[in-house]
Amino acid sequence: MALTGRAGLLAALGALVVLFAPRPGLAVLGVVLLLACLIVVDLIFAGGIRPLRFSREGERLVRLGQSVTVGLIVENPGPRRVRGVLRDAWPPSAGAAPRRLGVDVPPGERRRLTVTLTPTRRGDREAVTVTVRSLGPLGLAGRQGTHRVPWSVRVLPPFLSRKHLPAKLARLRELDGQHPALVRGQGTEFDSLREYVVGDDVRSIDWRASARRRDVVVRTWRPERDRRVLIVLDTGRTSAGRVGTAPIPLASEPPEGDRRDRGDAARRPAPGWPRLDWSMDAALLLAALAARAGDRVDFLAYDRAVRAWLSGQARTELLSSLVNVMAPIEAELVEADSPGMVAAVLARAKRRCLVVLLTDLNATAMEEGLLPLLPQLSSRHLVLVAAVADPRVAAMASGRGTAEQVYDAAAAEQLRGERRRITSLLRRHGVEVVDALPEDIASALADAYLALKAAGRL
Amino acid sequence: MTLQTAERSFSVSPTARGIWRRGRAIVLVGVIVVIAAVVPVLLPSGSSGGGALLDPGDSSLVGSRALAQVLGAHGVEVQRVDDVATALAAAGPDSQFLITESALLTEQQAARIAAAPADRLIVGDVRHLDVLAGGLTAEIGGTPSRSRSPECALREATLAGDAYMGGSAFTAPAGSTGCYPSGGKPTLVRYVADGRTVTVVGDGQFMTNLRLAEDGNAALAMNLAGAKHRLIWLVPPAQSDETSEPGGSGGSGGSASEPKTIGDLIPQGVGWAVLELVIAVGLVALWRGRRLGPVVAERLPVVVRAAETVEGRGRLYRARRARDRAALALRAATIDRIAPRLGLPRTATPDEIVTAVAARTGEDPEQIRPALFGGAPADDSGLVALAGYLDTLERQVQDS
Repeated sequence: MALTGRAGLLAALGALVVLFAPRPGLAVLGVVLLLACLIVVDLIFAGGIRPLRFSREGERLVRLGQSVTVGLIVENPGPRRVRGVLRDAWPPSAGAAPRRLGVDVPPGERRRLTVTLTPTRRGDREAVTVTVRSLGPLGLAGRQGTHRVPWSVRVLPPFLSRKHLPAKLARLRELDGQHPALVRGQGTEFDSLREYVVGDDVRSIDWRASARRRDVVVRTWRPERDRRVLIVLDTGRTSAGRVGTAPIPLASEPPEGDRRDRGDAARRPAPGWPRLDWSMDAALLLAALAARAGDRVDFLAYDRAVRAWLSGQARTELLSSLVNVMAPIEAELVEADSPGMVAAVLARAKRRCLVVLLTDLNATAMEEGLLPLLPQLSSRHLVLVAAVADPRVAAMASGRGTAEQVYDAAAAEQLRGERRRITSLLRRHGVEVVDALPEDIASALADAYLALKAAGRL
Repeated sequence: MTLQTAERSFSVSPTARGIWRRGRAIVLVGVIVVIAAVVPVLLPSGSSGGGALLDPGDSSLVGSRALAQVLGAHGVEVQRVDDVATALAAAGPDSQFLITESALLTEQQAARIAAAPADRLIVGDVRHLDVLAGGLTAEIGGTPSRSRSPECALREATLAGDAYMGGSAFTAPAGSTGCYPSGGKPTLVRYVADGRTVTVVGDGQFMTNLRLAEDGNAALAMNLAGAKHRLIWLVPPAQSDETSEPGGSGGSGGSASEPKTIGDLIPQGVGWAVLELVIAVGLVALWRGRRLGPVVAERLPVVVRAAETVEGRGRLYRARRARDRAALALRAATIDRIAPRLGLPRTATPDEIVTAVAARTGEDPEQIRPALFGGAPADDSGLVALAGYLDTLERQVQDS
């Protein structure tokens, strides 16, 4: 059961009656008894909650940053009208609105309510409970009950780097020799012969074919197709660190007005996105690009166990499958198991492929974990390591003026020196390295892929 | 109509039976606790325990109804008085106050009683003894009560013989009579002050219903309390409806003369209205306190900024004033950045770098060498200056 403000108001008005009553003690008793009677009557005539039936309809997928509506159908098979408020409880990061809904279902009818979800975090969001408070005819008290109406919404990675895709595809077409400028295709795979037109590179004239055809014929080339790209996402502790500024506001961030100490807020900027999310964004762009370029894309997420594995997807369904697989992955607060990761990659990639390892260039983790094992990988595959740099470190490194800032700059330079050292060590092993700021990592990784493709190294 | 209705909804509210089944153990424990708390309180009050100590109207073991009745049978008028004003009004030369340790007097009341023209019989550990019986001091610590013999010339005591005495021993003023000594100090003292006979007894147990029949207790009590025609027996003010049992003259006359307090002027209804408001506040609290559904907990990801380790290292440098390490890091970074621009290999020696930088920028090599390969700066301002100079060098190399 639940009371309303009216019950309290009635009791307060009763105080006035008591004040002027000739027998105040009896008046108090009378008011309390009357109130109790009214409340009991209200409870008896309120619509029952237990027989209510609920069902849901609507979307099950939403991209992070977008909203989705979920319909809740309330069916009242009971003999009395159910009138009151309803709360559809979701986890806070599901961003369910409104918090409470008015509900009025006559007996034997059903009503449809809608809840809008604006998630602030990736992953699966399960509906928790539906609570209904059904008020009696007097509005003094009501019955309250809770139902569980299962539904889950999967919040997908937003794929913000989609905006880079047209530009990268244009670059890809240039490689393909299909570009209107008739630039000679830079691929390495023989495609076809065609007639020479003015502007073609004379070096690509196929003299033997020209001799047969009595016309000048040029060879066209295209980039290799049907290569394999294996994207490996490191979900260990280093991927939990937050960098940059979150493009979509986080649920855990307090609102601006709540920050009392402005100076403190300025010194400690709001945490951005985890490296993992930036890496996912880059992986999605790479996957989209590689799928268009005709390569096969596999995906592996690993820290100490296989968190996700996606293989053999059709090109048209690759992206949707990929975001679906990525959605529930969270960074685990454990040191990544590099030998296990290398073994998992070797077990899955039988043929030579491009292994794109999305991790962090953390000196200790790299030196103890991955570096000794790299020869195993790079002897059979082409390895590309992509890491998200921290813009905060770059900002600290350029700090000058006070001694404090210079000390911070020295610390930042120390870290950057370590990263440079690791990068050069990796390059010496024949590993490609992409180290870019969060906003640029997707684009930089796509460029690196295109460069490898153009050079025919896949 | 519905797209996916495979999953059925079901109620998760507890049913009345469920609530009872889950809560009955707690209710049972609560009932046991209440019974355990209430029964010991109720049981002794049914027999004899809760009596009023040395009260002439109380028939329990600690009361003194027997003494009061015997005194009344011997023609002594016993007045049971529960407020000092009535007692003072009744006081006269032919009367005696009986002040026991249960009569809780304030110092002013004690002084007024001491000033009244009546004898005083003070029994037990009475407060403000110094006011009621001036010149008398009680020994600290007291003595155990037991049957003692009079060992004095006081007629009342010698007639009575042994009595159950003890409690406090006293140092009597000059000219007084002390009886029933304990360790040389008397536990009963009688002396005359301002024409009034003051009798002080260390322990009042000999007057209780329990002890009255033992030894010569009854005789001693009769002799002491029945010394005057009228005995004004002071008892603590009654809390409840039993106003005055034997002497009915108190009560209304005393309170009517007192000035009205603010509490008397407020109408009776206000208190009840406040009670009603308290009920209203309680209802509002129930209204606001009832949550619409459970609190939803969520497993949140950890929020760690990746730069925290770097900031921590910076703070460590700062705390330890690690200028050597800071300078080393800054120099290494500058050399790493300018060496490729100068076309130098990674393995270039300091001499080659200094020469190349000097050639490119036109700066003095003697100034460049300590900046790139010197020792740690002497102080923080030196470090700041070094960082600035390294920036300048780098910019010059890049711009040239």
